[in-house]
Amino acid sequence: MKIIACYSNKGGVGKTATSVNLAYAYAQAGQQVLLCDLDPQGASGFYFRVKPSKKLKDARFFEDVERFTKAIRASDFEGLDVLPANLTFRDFDVFLSRMRNKRSRLKKALVAAGSDYDVIFLDCPPNFSTLSENIFRAADEIVVPVIPTTLSERTFDQLVGFFEEHKLRKGKLRAFFSMVQKRKILHQDTMEKMRGLYRKRFLQTSIPFTADIEKMGQHRAPVSTYAARSAASAAYQALYDELENGVVASK
Amino acid sequence: MSQGTNGFFILPGGLDQAAFESALPNHSVDIQMGTAAPVLMLDCHDQSLRSSGRVLLENRGSLRLVSMQGQVSEQQARGKGQFVQNLPEGPVKAALSGFPTLRALTPIGTGEVEKGTLTILDDLEKTQVRGHILSLRTDRGQVAFVWLQNLRGYDRAFVSACESLEGMTSGGFDDLFDALFPDMMRYRAKPEIALGTQEPSLEVATDLIRTYLSVARQNEAGIVADIDTEFLHDYRVSLRRIRSVVSLFKGVFSDQQTAELKRVFSDLMAPTGRLRDLDVYLLEKDMYLRLVPENLHAGVQAMFDRFEQERARELSRLTRHLRSSAYEIAMTDLAQKFSTPEALMPGPSAERGAYSYACALIWKRYRKTCKLARSISEETPDQTVHDLRIDCKKLRYLMEFFGPLFNAKDFKTILKPLKKLQDNLGLFNDYSVQQEALLAFVSDQSTAQGRVDAQLGLAAGGLIAVLDQRQKAERARVISNFQHFDSPEIRHLFRSLFHHTKE
Repeated sequence: MKIIACYSNKGGVGKTATSVNLAYAYAQAGQQVLLCDLDPQGASGFYFRVKPSKKLKDARFFEDVERFTKAIRASDFEGLDVLPANLTFRDFDVFLSRMRNKRSRLKKALVAAGSDYDVIFLDCPPNFSTLSENIFRAADEIVVPVIPTTLSERTFDQLVGFFEEHKLRKGKLRAFFSMVQKRKILHQDTMEKMRGLYRKRFLQTSIPFTADIEKMGQHRAPVSTYAARSAASAAYQALYDELENGVVASK
Repeated sequence: MSQGTNGFFILPGGLDQAAFESALPNHSVDIQMGTAAPVLMLDCHDQSLRSSGRVLLENRGSLRLVSMQGQVSEQQARGKGQFVQNLPEGPVKAALSGFPTLRALTPIGTGEVEKGTLTILDDLEKTQVRGHILSLRTDRGQVAFVWLQNLRGYDRAFVSACESLEGMTSGGFDDLFDALFPDMMRYRAKPEIALGTQEPSLEVATDLIRTYLSVARQNEAGIVADIDTEFLHDYRVSLRRIRSVVSLFKGVFSDQQTAELKRVFSDLMAPTGRLRDLDVYLLEKDMYLRLVPENLHAGVQAMFDRFEQERARELSRLTRHLRSSAYEIAMTDLAQKFSTPEALMPGPSAERGAYSYACALIWKRYRKTCKLARSISEETPDQTVHDLRIDCKKLRYLMEFFGPLFNAKDFKTILKPLKKLQDNLGLFNDYSVQQEALLAFVSDQSTAQGRVDAQLGLAAGGLIAVLDQRQKAERARVISNFQHFDSPEIRHLFRSLFHHTKE
């Protein structure tokens, strides 16, 4: 079982789109995938038309394996299940603070309830918290979407700083440029600069800013299911190939 | 509750989408059907597959077997006219293991098949239950097989979909056949014939004869089409049962009537004998080849080539006979005769009640059989053993004819050792008949000077030697098999079942 977190300490960078499309790519490749929506806003669940979980609330997420398992829903796609969010997920930090081993509770819960899966994706809320620390410890890989702008550059610096400060393994961080607009000089410059600064942290693949991805909200489905030949679909496939197999698409 | 269901349903009349949808509030049902294609429904003549709760479909060169529990096996192969053991290896053949080896797969009906998918969606158009459909249609009706899939986290939708479909099935597997083929007659080689204890014996006799006449007639088409050898076998067994009724039910018909019926049914049987013998030889071909060393195989093969040729001639002769108007008239007359028993001349026992008549007949036959069997020793001539075989057969037929009047469990206890003895006597007889047939075959093939082709002669000689050994071995088993049948328990059963009134 492999745990892949999709995380960014900045909001609106394409986290959920990444989780949904990557999870779908892994399932299409024949893996059994569970996508856990840890963000109380429940956007991942929304994209798969799965209603928010009613009963998996409060601390049960970490304590009640049976409830956790029962809350899992099959998506409309072969090999891809979804754990929808619950609004009480916003209080995760409160529950965690009351628990012993509060930094490793998430991993424990995932291992107990997710044994049926080859890959578990975590769609994470955008902040630094006890939950994010749990995520950093639980995940084998942390996929970080970065919009090539000054503000994003700053938040990525903070994330790397946090890892250094807490002696977390920086090798887990797999950043990539998201919502890239190639015509913008700012984007080009920022990308070049950051690739120079964090040579090992950045994947070669980047995801373009396209209308097809924005339309996910209307279709409520992964991009490849309604725009199979689009640049966005190809980009997510390339991201999967690079993440999973280390293959960089030649373009 | 349908909690225990596996999500498989057989829906006579097809799936009514509107009714299904209305049973699932807040959900919509999306059904997508493919294109219809012609399909053959296969089974053997006595519908072994149907009896075991399965249907076999042949469509575009592939076979699909569906069980009433919803298991499906599929395999690329043609099935029509095939014996299961001759199908190419595959999941369908494997699932059909145990299918009668002497029975060929034959179409019991034709129609159209359509495959489709089914999706149950909630108000967000999220799939909550997935399923697939196999729809069969004949010119008389239709049936849908539906498999529902329980998706993780949507148990409630699955359960209510199952409950709703549960209400649309009427339950039994036979409904499927009733829906598709409402007029299909179910062939039974040994139909249950209801008897009353006080029923006049003449009525019992005519009921039996009428029933077996109809069984015989149901095999005619299969003999002519040469589907498999069991049609002729069943045809002959039915006629033999009729002849047994005529000869064993003493005093039921007048002597004159009995003599006439014996003649009529013997004449019906006569044109079938040689073909059946040849069928038996040909079915045993592999066994014969194994009996002799390989250097005699050429001769055995030559012998079987001649049997094949002769069989083809016999079959066309019998086919002409069965299709002749004389035959049709004779059979119609007989059917007529046995549905109006007043037309038959009764004998002194015609009015005797079935139960007391049965007891008397069976008891007498039992005593006769035992007397003969107990006299058999190592030195007894073979002919006596042959006579014992005939007596056992008569006893068995009588017990089967009157079976419905007696305790089934007791009959089973008696019939078990009797069958074993009969199998033993049957093999003894077969080996002896086969030796005679081989001798006759060789003398047929020899020249006026008594010379015969060396290959044929060697093969026949080799076979006769082995068959003689086998016959002796069977004979050696007769005494001990009879002793099993002649146990105190069986003796007591016979007495209490058939002889209690005289005590």
